[in-house]
This record gives sequence, C-alpha cells and structure tokens, in this order.
Amino acid sequence: MRILVVDDEADLLDALSRGLRREGYAVDTADDGEEALAKASWTPYDLICLDLTMHGIDGLEVCARLRAEPPGGVAPRILMLTARDTLEDRIRGLDVGADDYLVKPFAFDELTARIRTLLRRDSGRSGAVLEVGDVVVDTARHHASRAGRDLGLTAKEFAVLRYFMSRPGEVLSQEQLLDHVWDEHADPFTNTVRVTVGTLRRKLTVGDEEPALETVVGSGYRLFDPDAGHDPNGDSDR
Amino acid sequence: MNRSGVGLADRMPDRFGSLRTRLALLYSIVLFVLAAVMVGAIYLGLSRALSDEPMSRLARFEQLATDAAQASEVEPASLVPDERPPRPWLVIFEEEVNRRALERLRAYSFTALAGLFLGSLLVGWYVAGLVLRPIGRISAVAREITATDLSRRIDLGGPSDELRDLADTFDEMLGRLDESFEGQRRFVAEASHELRNPLAVLRTNLDVVMADPQAGPEDFRAAGVVALRAAERMSVLVDDLLLYAHHERPDAAREPLDLAVVVAETVEDFGAAAGRAGVGLELAERTGLAVLADAAAVRRAVANLLSNAIRVSDDGGSIRVSTGGDDDLVWVSVVDDGPGITAEHLDHVFQRFWRGDRSSAREAGRSGLGLAIVRQIAEGHGGRATVRSTPGEGATFTVWLPRYVNRVVARRERA
Repeated sequence: MRILVVDDEADLLDALSRGLRREGYAVDTADDGEEALAKASWTPYDLICLDLTMHGIDGLEVCARLRAEPPGGVAPRILMLTARDTLEDRIRGLDVGADDYLVKPFAFDELTARIRTLLRRDSGRSGAVLEVGDVVVDTARHHASRAGRDLGLTAKEFAVLRYFMSRPGEVLSQEQLLDHVWDEHADPFTNTVRVTVGTLRRKLTVGDEEPALETVVGSGYRLFDPDAGHDPNGDSDR
Repeated sequence: MNRSGVGLADRMPDRFGSLRTRLALLYSIVLFVLAAVMVGAIYLGLSRALSDEPMSRLARFEQLATDAAQASEVEPASLVPDERPPRPWLVIFEEEVNRRALERLRAYSFTALAGLFLGSLLVGWYVAGLVLRPIGRISAVAREITATDLSRRIDLGGPSDELRDLADTFDEMLGRLDESFEGQRRFVAEASHELRNPLAVLRTNLDVVMADPQAGPEDFRAAGVVALRAAERMSVLVDDLLLYAHHERPDAAREPLDLAVVVAETVEDFGAAAGRAGVGLELAERTGLAVLADAAAVRRAVANLLSNAIRVSDDGGSIRVSTGGDDDLVWVSVVDDGPGITAEHLDHVFQRFWRGDRSSAREAGRSGLGLAIVRQIAEGHGGRATVRSTPGEGATFTVWLPRYVNRVVARRERA
C-alpha cells in the first residue's frame, strides 16, 4: 500500500512518514500542493494524506483536481488532515471529495486506524483481519499466519503480503508491486521485488503445504484464492 | 405581618406593576378628576345661582306673569309690582323645584362620572396597549437574543416615531455587538488553528517515537529537538497573541512624546541584531515630532517593523529608518532592500497570520502577527500603517500618527 503524505510542516511530514513506514506502508512526501499533484500524476497512490491549508495550491484544490481528473483513471483515497475544525470546513472538505477528515492534533494510532479503514474499502472487506484460505493477516496488530503458524515476516514482506491479500486471485505485476509497496526511493531496476516475493513465498509454504503464492509467467504473481474456484484468466502455469 | 407585606408586594407588580395598567389607571383617574371637578363646578354654580336669585323676588317674575296673562288674553289682575315679601307658598314651591332639579342633576352627574370612569379605563387600557405593543416586541426579541446568536434584529416597521427610533438604535447596537463578537470568534478560531499546527507536530513526533520499540537515543534526541522547536513556536505565538489582544483595546495611558526619540531608542536597541544579521541600519531623524501616544506601543510597532526588515534583508543589505512630519501627521518609515512584496500580496501583509512564505516563516518561529500588531497600534492611535514595494528592490513600511498639538503651548506662543 503506497501513501503520499502532503503537508507544509517539515517536522510533521518527517514524523508522519517515519511512523507510516514503520506500519509497513510505502510512503512518499510532498510539501506543497504542486508537488503533490505532480507526484500523484505519475504514481497510482492507494491513499493520500492531505493537509488542507497550504501555501499556493491548498488541499481543497488538490483534492478537487484529483477527483476531477484522477490520474490513471482511479482516484486515490484521500484523508484530509487539517487544523480547521469548524463544521463548514469539514463539510467543504468532504464535499470536494475527501474520504475522511482528521483534525490536528491527532493521535497517530487514530490516523493509522483510519488509513486501514480507508484502504479496506478497496478490497470490500470490513475488518482489520484479512483472510484468504488459511492465510490470516491482522493489519492492525501486524501479524501474519498460515494455518495458525506465525510467518515471522519482515515489514516489507508483510506489506507485500497485505497487498496480495487485498487482491486475492488477481495477477499482480512487478510494476504494480513496485508502485504500491515500494516508495519513490526504490530503484526500479533492481530485483528487490523478485527477492522479497521469493522470501515471502518460502515463508508462506513449508513442508507439503499447498503453494499460496504462484508465479504467472510473463505477468507477475498471484495469491491463490481457494474461494474464487475456477481461474477466469486461465493463464496460470500450473 | 412583615412577611405578608412582602408577599403582597411580590404579587402586586404582576398586575399593578405593568406599565399598561398604570397608564390606563392614570389616564382614567386624571380624566375622572377633571370631569368631577367640572361637573362639581357646574353643580355648585347652578345651585348657588338658584339660591341667590329666587325668582319669586324678581320683577322679572312679575313680567313673566304679565306676558303669560297677555298670551292667554286674561286681564291681569292685581299684577302691579309690589314690594311686599313673596308669598310663602311660592317660595316653598320654588325651593322644591330647585331641590328636585339639583337632585336630578346630581344623579345624572354621578352616573355620567361613573360611566366616564369605566369608559376611560377601557379606552386608556386599549390605547396604552396600542402604544406599548412595539415595546413588547422589542423586549421579546431582546429576550430571544443570546450572546451566541446576535443575528436577530427587531426590525420594527411603521411610522418613524420615538419607538421606531428606539428599535432602530437597538438594532444598530446589536449590529455593532454582532460585528465585534464575530471578529472575536474569528480571531479565536484563527488563533486556535495557528496553535494546532505546532501541537500536531509535537504530538505526532512524540507518538511516533514512543510507539517505536526500536527507537534509540538518537531518535529520542531528534524528537526532542523537534518538540523544542514546536514549543518555541507556540510560545512566540502565545506572546504575540497576548500582545495583539492587548492592543485591540487601547486603554494604556497616553502621553505626549517625541516620535523621533522613541524611534532613535528602538533603532539603537536593534543595532546588535542587525549587526549579527550583517545588515546595515541607518537612521535619518528629524526631531520635534510630538505625538500623544503609548510609548511602549509605539516602540513595539517600530520594533516589529525593524525585525521584519532584518528578517527579509540578505547579508550585506541595508535598512534605512527615517522620521518626519507635517502640520497634521508625523511618520516613521522603514525601508529595506529585501526581495520586496508582489502586488497581489501587498493587500495582505497587515492581515493577521498572513505569512509571505508559510513554511519558511514557520521554521523561523514567526507568529504571523507582527505586522498586524503594527497596524493595530497605528489605528489605535488614530493613524494608519502603509506599505509600498517594488518586487526585487525592497519594501517601505510607514506608520503615520496624528501630530499632537498642545493647545496651551500653542496659545501661549501665539500670544
């Protein structure tokens, strides 16, 4: 899950990106509206944390523009962060298309809870715990297990698994994973995606367990979804 | 006994304390007394007239008899005027007639007076109600208005009379109150918004570092540095907020002083700060600029202009401070050779919490109130603050104050 944090307070931006990275998100930052729009135009963010009051292009305008012309056709979730808390401000924020609204100062735990809720909306699930077959991922407690066995994932592996879990049965390309799980500092020419997916696959399947993560030759990877039954694409190599 | 007296007094005002009742009562009592005096006078006059001039003694009575006899073609017998006392039966008859007439008059008078009293009470009640109705409306609206909702108005229509005037005055007062409450509310909202940003920085930083089990001493140190910065910003902001709130009500003692002297002192105070920033600071003063002002406030205004100028000046830049005046106004102006202000921003520089460059201003720990306080002080002294700028060349901030003319001295000099 890749998040863009936009705020003109450098100190806040630092703290937010550090905290969110520790939660396993890929985080990019922008310190004004222009930079935010530019970054959002070439990266398909899953969520944008947007400060409302900024110099130049403010958060309302960024939100309105992203809603009017979503880059790549899919508008990211937008969580508005603001020091303004009057009713009119909240209504205005939600009216231009913000998905949620958080008033500064906020508890960091509340922010992460709201981010989880917003990101869950994409996968159509309602709880913090994602389940696909016998793989269970608790996004709030950062815990992943298969058939009751703790997987012991690193933060990056956890982030990759969470992204797969939100799209079970879907073939995800390396580029997609790079876009949504790695931040702007990742080098697109390294094989970091392949390596991480490889170690994740090894941790997911031990002994004679059925392979959970499969490689779709030429396309990418897919989390095996036992509930989906027949594979509609039929391009599996198995 | 005492208690019952109090109880009665408590109950009385409801009925008799009402202005309408009192007006109606007063009206009908005055009318009744006037009518009673008039009726009494008529009655007295009539009864005196009747007893002073008994008809039986008058020659005119005889003449009346003659006329009556002539009319009836009867020979008037023994109707020659005589000087004998009237005959007793005639007197008695006459007295009886008079008595009955007066009695009838009395009865009619009392009935009329009673009717008049009742009627006047009714009319008085009605008229008083008519007159007092707008007052009822005024007080009803006034009761509905609370300090948090001052948007209601009485809006009394009708002819422009005393009550309309009262209602309009009341409306105007509400308008002013509303405006000042609204201003206050906006100020509090802006101030809390400004305080929330550093608070958010503080809280999020601490939240993130505390929740991190792997955070080392360096992380805590870094969070501490950020927290200090945020605290610094908040204390600057709170100081300026207090100053701003203080200058909003100019109640400080004013004294005649020479603007040039205050400016010279302030410029001297800033010498060291300018030196540290590598900025030249020169003063071209013209003394004898009398103003009636709060010295501390004027010093604050000049200091804010100076620190603003030093902040925008590059190393090696220069600031020129000059004072001057004419017959009506005196001024102090601060000219810097910094980046200047673009035309679109010129209108905003004196607005509170406006900052040319938001993020860099915050890092420098500015409240965004400095120039707003300058304007407030200038306007509080009956003057104003202006700015001129050519982008790329610098800006000129000027505070204008009304010149103080000591009338006693002026008169003595003229003499």
